[in-house]
Amino acid sequence: MNFILEGTINGILMGSIYGLTALGLTVIFGVLKVINFAHGSLIMVSMYVAYWAIIFTGVHPYIALIIVVPVMYFFGYYLQDIIIKPIFKAEKDIREPITVIIVTTGVWYILDNLTLLIFGPQYRNIQNNPLRGKMLEIGDMLISVPKLWGFITAVITASAIYWFLQKTRTGRAIRATSLDREAASLMGINQFKIYNIAFGIGTAIVGISAVTLVPFYNIFPTVGVLFDIKGFIIVVLGGLGSIGGAILGGIIIGLIESIAPMFMTATWAEAIVYGLFLVVLFVKPSGLFGVKYDW
Amino acid sequence: MTRKNINTSAFILLGFVAFGLPLVLRSPTYLHIIILLYLYAYLTTSWNLVGGFAGVLPLGHSAFIGIGAYASTILSLQYGISPWLGMIAGGILAAIVGILIGLPTFKMRGAYFALATIAFGEGIRVMVENIDNLGPLKINGPRGLQIPPTHIGFVNYMFEGKEPYYYIILVMLMGVLALTYFLSRSKIGYYLNAGGEEPEAAMSLGVNVARAKLIAMAMSSFLTALAGTFYAQFTLYIHPKSVMSLDFSFEIAFIALIGGRGSIAGPVLGALLLRPVSDFSRIYFGSTLPGLHLIIFGTVLILVMIFQPRGLQEPLSKIYNTLLDRISGQTRQGEVKHEYS
Amino acid sequence: MNILEINNLVKDFGGLRAVDTLSLSIEEGEILGMIGPNGAGKSTAFNCIAGVYAPTKGNVYFAGKKINGVKPWNLCKNGLARTFQIVKPFRTKSVLYNVMVGSFVTTDKTSVAEEKALNVLKILSFENKKDERAGKLTIAELKRLEIARALATEPKLLLFDEVMAGLRPAEVDEMVQIIKKLRDQGITIFVIEHIMRAIMALSDRIVVIHFGKKIAEGPPQEVASDENVIKAYLGDEYVVS
Repeated sequence: MNFILEGTINGILMGSIYGLTALGLTVIFGVLKVINFAHGSLIMVSMYVAYWAIIFTGVHPYIALIIVVPVMYFFGYYLQDIIIKPIFKAEKDIREPITVIIVTTGVWYILDNLTLLIFGPQYRNIQNNPLRGKMLEIGDMLISVPKLWGFITAVITASAIYWFLQKTRTGRAIRATSLDREAASLMGINQFKIYNIAFGIGTAIVGISAVTLVPFYNIFPTVGVLFDIKGFIIVVLGGLGSIGGAILGGIIIGLIESIAPMFMTATWAEAIVYGLFLVVLFVKPSGLFGVKYDW
Repeated sequence: MTRKNINTSAFILLGFVAFGLPLVLRSPTYLHIIILLYLYAYLTTSWNLVGGFAGVLPLGHSAFIGIGAYASTILSLQYGISPWLGMIAGGILAAIVGILIGLPTFKMRGAYFALATIAFGEGIRVMVENIDNLGPLKINGPRGLQIPPTHIGFVNYMFEGKEPYYYIILVMLMGVLALTYFLSRSKIGYYLNAGGEEPEAAMSLGVNVARAKLIAMAMSSFLTALAGTFYAQFTLYIHPKSVMSLDFSFEIAFIALIGGRGSIAGPVLGALLLRPVSDFSRIYFGSTLPGLHLIIFGTVLILVMIFQPRGLQEPLSKIYNTLLDRISGQTRQGEVKHEYS
Repeated sequence: MNILEINNLVKDFGGLRAVDTLSLSIEEGEILGMIGPNGAGKSTAFNCIAGVYAPTKGNVYFAGKKINGVKPWNLCKNGLARTFQIVKPFRTKSVLYNVMVGSFVTTDKTSVAEEKALNVLKILSFENKKDERAGKLTIAELKRLEIARALATEPKLLLFDEVMAGLRPAEVDEMVQIIKKLRDQGITIFVIEHIMRAIMALSDRIVVIHFGKKIAEGPPQEVASDENVIKAYLGDEYVVS
């Protein structure tokens, strides 16, 4: 019995980290209304940045946030500004440009393979970090400490973003743009600047999620692919643009991944995730917590 | 010569070259590369029926390749049925699956539709990877199925050299191009284009957009599955990661997009331009610079989408038409413009 | 014969009643106009006829048959065509291509559709633009294209949704002549319009809608001087009593 409880708790913890990785995606998807297929690659890049930051400075992994967050913010900001903005300008009156999906796929291919070329295919991890392999004992259950840290980070980040979007001027501008970009620009909001900022913030959140992963996850050029698809499933599950939805969606996935293998093979668990995704898409495409937007 | 005559002569000449190529090009390696080139051109053209004409972005088409490959292979290995018949069976099965997928997904908006097709494609792949036996049928999960190269002969869709495969895929490619050509000039083609561009207006003009899209999907999945059988018989080994992968689906879609979806020549052009790049960078740089061809692919993708979002066939066909005008001294007149370039 | 009959049509959107027990009928060969202040429910009523919405209550009859909730493409095949207030041309295709899409309702062959489409363009004095890319046309030309496409489906009843919007006075007059020509060809016309000069010149009868209800009906002159109509448009102060 405790076995299942342990699995449930660890599933929730890992799930919250998944949710954190998808949080950046929901902000970008919610505001720009585009699928950013480079999402997984951004996670991968963040993980490498975090890795090198920790290796060179030898600090506690979470201190690397100081470096990773600004770096990834600007990376995302300029990625949007230089590569994606021209597409938007060309397809201004289409509601969700398909071309951006294609372009971001190109970015994905380039980032993943450039990383492969430069850093090689080998798996890296940070062996001697203070969190690695640490377990918390509660009764006769073992709870993963790095995942616990991840859970706490996820909750803090989600709350911070929620506060930012609700209470700050920029946050409100972002929400306005996501609801109706033309109306927002008529209100004096510079649409493209908002996109850049939103992308920057989304990528910065990705950076935070990478820092939570780095203590226990392996780092290699195609690590992002796993998170890419999972990220979209989570965003659709939770409802696009919904912050709570992203975290909760992630937790659902985390739970399925941790409990299902007790009753079936891991790959069937994968099939269940896809199946659930499709059911949500058909039955309630706006997701569990999403608002029904007409788009 | 009139403009139309020059155009027709050019095509006939191209046909001669294509049919005569194996007589001149003896190297099996190069023949193999060209066969795969034709295969991709065929796949992208078939994809175009949905991705181009119907105006949506399907990213799970490799599932149909897999269905075709597995259907004909299982039928021939376990029941001794000729792969040609198995090919038709696979095509029909794929068409049914395609319609089932299309029914709920065509109602979705672009981004969601793309995600749904990915989920379907991956879902089917994951299921096949998990199943060793489906009742009496041996599927073999991730290990896949191997076709022993015995029983050479037409009935068994098995040949000694590469040449027969070359001609098969060439004929298939020409067939699918002809189909696309006639489709674009037919009622269903007009309806598909209209429904893809302005569904509301099309509906008010008598077009059952949903039904047109499903018809396109059925055709596309049927034709794609036929290529699956070809692939199986040509490479003699199929497994989920090779015939049903996400990468395969993406590759087909993006080659078609770079070439120009919605046009007839676009997908073929895309394959003609990108496959050699991919092949050569893999052959010459595969060990020293792994993944280079994907970096090139990604860069081309981005550049084309920024500068020529309707694909490279637009500027290329402008050049071709200008050339035709100059040579014949006439301009394009009197034809209904079925596609705008 | 009444080609269109609406009985007690009600359309609700959640808590909002957009159309409130509307009843009207159109005789074959008539031109009926519908006017009303913005938000009165004209477009909603229109869309209930055109198959975009299914009525919440009440019935719509076309040529004697009930058409509640029948899909737009089936309505079109039975002779009910419409244009859109915000034009929706197939922008990447030529004018001729656009019209041919409509012609295919009556034929399966491309050559026949092409011929029919050319005829339609001739009727509307538009054939000189047949090879123009629709995306490049002016707004007046686009409106004409909307009509051409709908006309190509060989309708018995044509619904025009603010087809004059955005046109200059000279263009409006041209359009009025075109629509009158269509009626002379035997097509019944139902127009929603804001531009008074057009609707007064065109309509045999006018129906006035306000807050989803019919508040007046009759020949143009009568309706123009109707108390309720003046009140609805301009307010109480303007009613001369």
